[in-house]
Amino acid sequence: MSAALSLVGLCKSFGPKRAVDHLDLDVRRGCMFGLVGPNGAGKTTTLSMATGLLRPDAGTARVLDHDVWTDPAGAKALMGVLPDGLRLFDRLSGAELLHYVGLLRRVPPAELASRSSELLDALALADDRDTLVVEYSAGMTKKIGLACALIHAPRLLILDEPFEAVDPVSGEAIRSILRNYARAGGTVVMSSHVMELVESLCDDLAVVAHGRVLAAGTLDEVRAGSSLQQRFLDLVGFTAAGEESLAWLRSSSGSS
Amino acid sequence: MVALLVRLKLTLLRNSLKRSTWRTVGLIIAMIYALGVVSLVLAGLVGLRFTSLALTADVTVVAYAALTLGWLLMSMLVFGVDETIDPAKFALLPVRSRELLPGLLVAGLISAPGVATVLVAVGLVISWAHTVPLTLAALIAVPIGVVTCFLLSRAATAAFASFLGSRRFRDLAFVGLALFGVALGIGGNLISAFVNAEIGDLRRSLADLATVAAWTPFGWAWAIPADVSRSAWLVAAIHFMLAAALVGLLWMAWSHFLAAGLVSPIERGGTGTKVSDSTAVERFFPATPAGGVAGRTLRYWRRDPRYLAGIAGFLIAPIVLIVTQRVNPEGIAAIAAFAPTLLGLLVGLSLAQDLSYDGTALWLHISAGISGAEDRAGRVMSTMTIYLPLIVILLGVAMITTGEWHLLVPAVGLTFALMLTGLGVGCLVGTLWQWPAPLPGANPFGVGNAGGLPSLLSFAVTMIGTLILTLPTIALVVWSFYTPWVGYLTLPVGLLCGFIVLRIGIAQGGRILDRRWPEAMLAVSEKTA
Repeated sequence: MSAALSLVGLCKSFGPKRAVDHLDLDVRRGCMFGLVGPNGAGKTTTLSMATGLLRPDAGTARVLDHDVWTDPAGAKALMGVLPDGLRLFDRLSGAELLHYVGLLRRVPPAELASRSSELLDALALADDRDTLVVEYSAGMTKKIGLACALIHAPRLLILDEPFEAVDPVSGEAIRSILRNYARAGGTVVMSSHVMELVESLCDDLAVVAHGRVLAAGTLDEVRAGSSLQQRFLDLVGFTAAGEESLAWLRSSSGSS
Repeated sequence: MVALLVRLKLTLLRNSLKRSTWRTVGLIIAMIYALGVVSLVLAGLVGLRFTSLALTADVTVVAYAALTLGWLLMSMLVFGVDETIDPAKFALLPVRSRELLPGLLVAGLISAPGVATVLVAVGLVISWAHTVPLTLAALIAVPIGVVTCFLLSRAATAAFASFLGSRRFRDLAFVGLALFGVALGIGGNLISAFVNAEIGDLRRSLADLATVAAWTPFGWAWAIPADVSRSAWLVAAIHFMLAAALVGLLWMAWSHFLAAGLVSPIERGGTGTKVSDSTAVERFFPATPAGGVAGRTLRYWRRDPRYLAGIAGFLIAPIVLIVTQRVNPEGIAAIAAFAPTLLGLLVGLSLAQDLSYDGTALWLHISAGISGAEDRAGRVMSTMTIYLPLIVILLGVAMITTGEWHLLVPAVGLTFALMLTGLGVGCLVGTLWQWPAPLPGANPFGVGNAGGLPSLLSFAVTMIGTLILTLPTIALVVWSFYTPWVGYLTLPVGLLCGFIVLRIGIAQGGRILDRRWPEAMLAVSEKTA
């Protein structure tokens, strides 16, 4: 069985800076996959290339046997995407935005209305369905973005930082939606830098830094006996600063 | 603190230019343009030396009072003409507003309008440098006047910051500015149409205007050298004291509002606007991706101030033309009758900039995998829905006010030919160049918000392309002036040519967009400084 998402030799440079450097990644079907890495590791760049938003310098991205860059229509129809840091058509209300994405995705009009109100209910956005998205809080904007990614019942979900700025209650709602989705055979790829979240939610994960995969596999394989947090720090190469550094910061010895 | 803030300002400016060559090119073009205007003004100021002192007094007082008023109006309508150094960003630092003020004042003058104003104000000294007392008076007046300009705009924006901070008000202000432009265009033309008066009358009304301007707060400082030139020493002293007091008052007001702002930085938005859940727009267009794009952009025409301002901007030229040709006794009725063609010509521009206006939200179109042709077709549908009624109304107004009904068919033919061709050309051009447009409600004149060269290219190619492709119809219209029956050919020929160009524009533009989606995304997502 082919992988849900398969990235081979992806490269992308911005000027002299190599954001993604020959990155290979395979995500099996029906799993929750976590992409973790420090700030600036190239997570967002990788996901942008996998979803057809950013043209790679080299390499291929395949979604369920459809090449994203030679068969974009086929690949995009199977994907639901939630990017991070990109705007939405925020002069529409939540309900209008969802309807709009449904039309773009060719969701049958008869189903569109019922799907859209179910999603708004599940994500606790029903009360704000007629509020303009530009007035939404950061967490609500994430949630309406997730609804837009789900409206056409995709087989692969690619989510960039889906839990950022989301409150704990909505976070739990999103978790259960994603778990049920994966249980029903869907595949979720999400990036995060919260290790506890990935540890509790994902089956497989990959650690990226400097645009390369440092470790990939099931949660237990990557953890290799220690905690994910410790393993991540080891891989990325972090050593805690010694006693000497930032000594002036100790308020007891401070002069003011 | 002054040197620190000035350095900060220069660093911010340099970094925003470093990120994009397009922006540098755009800035250079803007600078050449500004320099041209400034040198024309300076030439005029030198020229004033060769006229009488009385004329110099009247002209400079009126012009510089208008400049000062302009600073106030521009900053009120367009929030904070330059927000590169936003005082609210200092809220977390342990600084007092007193320490910040001088630095913010100088840093604020390092902007295109600031530098231009300083240059133009210094030029005033040249005009006045006849005798020692006059030169001294000008040297005193110029700094006071420049500082008044700047403080007036800062104090006013700081005072109204809480209103201006809300999204709704900024939207309104944006539309207000566009309407102000319309009014200015019509007003200016009306004045020039009515003032067929003698030079003597003109000279007398200028003197009256100067007398009034000299006693408004905008003219106090600028009137000082004028008073000295008349040897009205007492009046000069009064003007000086008033101007100095104004500067002191504005300084205190600005300091007060800045201090308040440092304690409570402005929170923007959050009014919770609800919209009625209407499906009328959805029923109007087919339930396809193209229909969806049409419905969404139609809603944007109503909710996004940039589109509203665009409509107002496009309507300026034809309305001004009709009004001035009708009120002017020597106006030519035929020109007014053909005025709606101007709107037809401009319509394509809105399509050429549509992708840029979407900004990074464009990712939804890309990841939904809709074809470029569907995107193009949807935008054409909504643009036609907006402009078709406007064009019909305008044609009706033009015909009724002129009574030149024999020009109806050629006028309709040419207008529609231009509109359809323009839409087709705009469809294609819109896919070639995109740029990071200012967000709705953001300051359209802010530093780094100009689209630079891509937006200029897009504008020029759309206009020229539309005119060239409409040549067959234009030729027929010209021919019909000599052979009237040819006029009836313009309508079918115009519609046919227009529809052909539109079809090609949608298909070819769509094909280009299918290949260029990621590049378009990159072009619009370059961060605005």
